Amino acid sequence: MGEAFTLLGFGPEGWGHALLTAGLTTLAVSACAFACGLVLGTLCAWAKIAGPPVLRRAADIYGVVLRGIPDLLVIYLFYFGGRQIVTAIANQFGHTGPVEISGFVAGSLAIGLISGAAQAEVLRGAFHAIPPGTLEAARVTGMRRWTMFRRIIAPQALRTALPGLGNQWQSVIKESALVSVTGLVETLRAVSVAANSTELPFLFFLAGGAIYLAITTVSGLVFRIAEWRAMRGQPAMRVGG
Amino acid sequence: MNPTTVRTPTTVRLANIHKSFGRQEVLRGIDLEARDGDVISIIGSSGSGKSTLLRCIPFLEIPDQGEVTVGDETIVLTGAGHRFSRAERQKIRRLRGQIGFVFQSFNLWPHMTALQNVMEVPLHVQGRPRAECREEAEAMLAKVGLADKRDAWPAHLSGGQQQRVAIARALASRPRALLFDEPTSALDPELVGEVLRVIRALAEEGRTMLIVTHEMAFAREVSSHAIYLHEGRIEEAGPPQQVFLDPVSERCRRFVRGQAGPVD
Repeated sequence: MGEAFTLLGFGPEGWGHALLTAGLTTLAVSACAFACGLVLGTLCAWAKIAGPPVLRRAADIYGVVLRGIPDLLVIYLFYFGGRQIVTAIANQFGHTGPVEISGFVAGSLAIGLISGAAQAEVLRGAFHAIPPGTLEAARVTGMRRWTMFRRIIAPQALRTALPGLGNQWQSVIKESALVSVTGLVETLRAVSVAANSTELPFLFFLAGGAIYLAITTVSGLVFRIAEWRAMRGQPAMRVGG
Repeated sequence: MNPTTVRTPTTVRLANIHKSFGRQEVLRGIDLEARDGDVISIIGSSGSGKSTLLRCIPFLEIPDQGEVTVGDETIVLTGAGHRFSRAERQKIRRLRGQIGFVFQSFNLWPHMTALQNVMEVPLHVQGRPRAECREEAEAMLAKVGLADKRDAWPAHLSGGQQQRVAIARALASRPRALLFDEPTSALDPELVGEVLRVIRALAEEGRTMLIVTHEMAFAREVSSHAIYLHEGRIEEAGPPQQVFLDPVSERCRRFVRGQAGPVD
């Protein structure tokens, strides 16, 4: 028992520091992927709601493709496929030998792409939940489209979308473990390394689970608070008059 | 009306407005003029086109043909499916900026408090200073009797209160004309009175208003002119005494009798 504490601790024998860094890497790669997905999702939702037919079709195809192939394959495609393409391009310009690309960047983009397809659906649903009369009431004042998006559409859509986006955030955190295949030292990779070198897989994989659980629990709480704040004054949450 | 006196300026003018939904011709050539200070009530059975007519003024429905004027802005429509140029779209925005529209279903912005609803357009569309917007919005809420509800969310207000906030919101942008689209039709009967009282007070202030309504007694009392629409045409128009009590059109006579009960 004492040995476990030493191994997980921050002393010279401990893996604590490595695990902490890995946890932060998981958080960082998830945050980048989620942000990527939010941007992509917003663009796709817009394309599906109001975009020209070509973009609408493109957004639909994107959704179908990303739902239909395994997430791990998308990461392979971005990391190994991306490395091959970047190398080919660099060789054209006189560079010799393979070019390394960052597992962090490739992984964030890949997971962002996967999450974007799902976030697009969450945001589209949230847009359609806006009472159309509130949009008409804005339009009739001569409000510009951008002002209307910023002041009337986005705040109403976001509060409906928050629970769905919270679920997406949780999936992104868990999917970020797949990025370990690129050699990026995030939580899963770090506990695997530790498990191998100490020959204590049970202890370290348990510790890995605890790290993920800590991240998802704390961020889940943050989303719950955000939802609670956003729902103030909403009919679903009538708290007194 | 004495033709030699200088007539007050036109605030809203519709000329030869046509509008179809698919094959259904809803408006068949409507001419209408509201001068400064006029209160025009528009009546008719459902399907007569009265709401569509009102919604054509701020281009919530786009007329197929005709001419819409609000204040200094005139837009001419040349046929169904008219594509607006950039300049025309700007013109429509300016035209919309000169009217205040009150919907049947209130349509307050649910993520804003009563005060924020009233301040939104002066602050974020007209770009007036925040302090001024706030002061005026508070005054408007006080005018509709809801000064104490300024921080309430729309979902926590009764229908009558929501509609009064919506009226304050329409007033806050300092419109030349107020348009009411059946403002009391979505209200429980006991809440109709408080909204009609507010509208009556606005009429007494000399505001220019167009009101689509089923409240015959109210319309008769408050308006300076009345229009009876039937199948997309103006069937009867004139002073309220004529339209409500002694119309030329037999159909209009039956309509106002049927709506208001026996007229004494």
